[in-house]
Amino acid sequence: MQRNVLGRASAATRVGFAAFIALGAIPPAAHGDWTLGAAVGVRHDDNVGNAQFSPDIVADTLVDARVSLFRLFPLDNGYSMTVGGDLSGESYHTLTGLNNVSLDGAIALKKKWGLGALAPWARAELSVARSSYDDSYRNAWDYRATLASGRRFDERWNFWADYTYENRAASPQEEEVPGLSGDAYSQVSHSLGIILEYSLLETTYLSMGLLARHGDVVSTTLHPNATVYYASSALADDPAFGPNAYAYKLTGTTYGFRVGLNVSPTAHSLLGCGFERFETHADGGNEYAKSIVDVTWNYRY
Amino acid sequence: MVGAAPGLGAELRVLVKDHHGKSVADAVVLATPSDSKIAQRAKTPVDAVDQVDKQFVPYVKPVFLGSKVRFPNSDHIRHQVYSFSPAKVFELPLYAGTDAPPVVFDKPGVVVLGCNIHDWMVGYIYVSETPFFAKTEAAGTAAIADLPPGEYTVRIWHPSMEGGENTTLRQVTLTGDGPTDITWELGLKPSFRVPRASGAASPGYP
Repeated sequence: MQRNVLGRASAATRVGFAAFIALGAIPPAAHGDWTLGAAVGVRHDDNVGNAQFSPDIVADTLVDARVSLFRLFPLDNGYSMTVGGDLSGESYHTLTGLNNVSLDGAIALKKKWGLGALAPWARAELSVARSSYDDSYRNAWDYRATLASGRRFDERWNFWADYTYENRAASPQEEEVPGLSGDAYSQVSHSLGIILEYSLLETTYLSMGLLARHGDVVSTTLHPNATVYYASSALADDPAFGPNAYAYKLTGTTYGFRVGLNVSPTAHSLLGCGFERFETHADGGNEYAKSIVDVTWNYRY
Repeated sequence: MVGAAPGLGAELRVLVKDHHGKSVADAVVLATPSDSKIAQRAKTPVDAVDQVDKQFVPYVKPVFLGSKVRFPNSDHIRHQVYSFSPAKVFELPLYAGTDAPPVVFDKPGVVVLGCNIHDWMVGYIYVSETPFFAKTEAAGTAAIADLPPGEYTVRIWHPSMEGGENTTLRQVTLTGDGPTDITWELGLKPSFRVPRASGAASPGYP
């Protein structure tokens, strides 16, 4: 399945592959402070289409993978800059139209006030990503701006909070209904998150997070109802969920939490599992919930 | 160990284990002679703590009081080494290679090292008042050879030890007749460190 996805990858993705190969070919002496990352995970989402009613709710399991390459530039006065990017992909078990690859580039500026691991810090990051989906309807440019700040209280407790503005610009689809936009997959959102980490053992830590997000949401249904139809700002075919599926763009607010357990079997790797629960309240009385369970292996060198 | 004249004959051999019988590496063994004139014969050498693969090497470095310690950087990146410890407060601004000047450790005690760029980097320098010391290897063993015969107070220090090093004190008489073997059982606490690997959502390093 993943081979099909890659076969349909965009020019941006192919350029990304070439860039990663070129970066990997740089002689070690010239590497500087490079960080190579890789992650592989399995995730189960019990409501992939953000549907409200049982007949529309579709659960699926996916495998995701990511390789990333970042370079850190330590600067004076506690500043550091990070430039890099990653290439990622998702392969769904059932909803194969959602299989995708993404190429992401990011630049971040971090400031630490003081010396040491316990010094408070703040970070500003800009990123742009291009995603290519198997069904092509969700193909999009994704622009993000993130502000994060936090501090480690001691060797066991770590805390940070972040704000993210996201603008996902998809290619508008044809109008299904005259006068109603077909641009259902473009989304603008603002989100706030807080994360608390606590080390249980020398190589094991617990993470707990809260999320609030406001902005556009996409809800897919096979059984449209008038209330949601009138509340939606865009509507488009959603062939990934079937020939009679429609995606509605609504304005909604999501609240969620995550708990995770992470184990470092080696200094460079992290094995994590987590549970997430989200509840969304959208226009037109569209209220839906989803739970996600994931297992991920991260490697950084 | 530093400062002892060779061929004096006395040898102290130490084995350090934890409460589960597991060998304890990186424990510093210190032998303080009752005759303080013996320690005064020591010289202060130049030692080094390297930085390799974004880690301090060695993790624990015992040095004699007054020693100069260099911090060469074998990584192809810049590090910013610091310590807040009362025994030595210092900072080496961002540097690469061997540019950093040596640091003189002129107070006894434990100096905890860190890197302000790579928060998981932690190392320890133990500044010893006695020139007779050694550090245990992976097998939990250490030896201090060529000690002047006499009465010694021997103690152990480890970064994760429960209680203070004074709880490990032992009085030992060393002769030139052969090695003296001592075994310690040390209680160790969990050693919590900033994780080097993190999840994709962690906005730490990089």
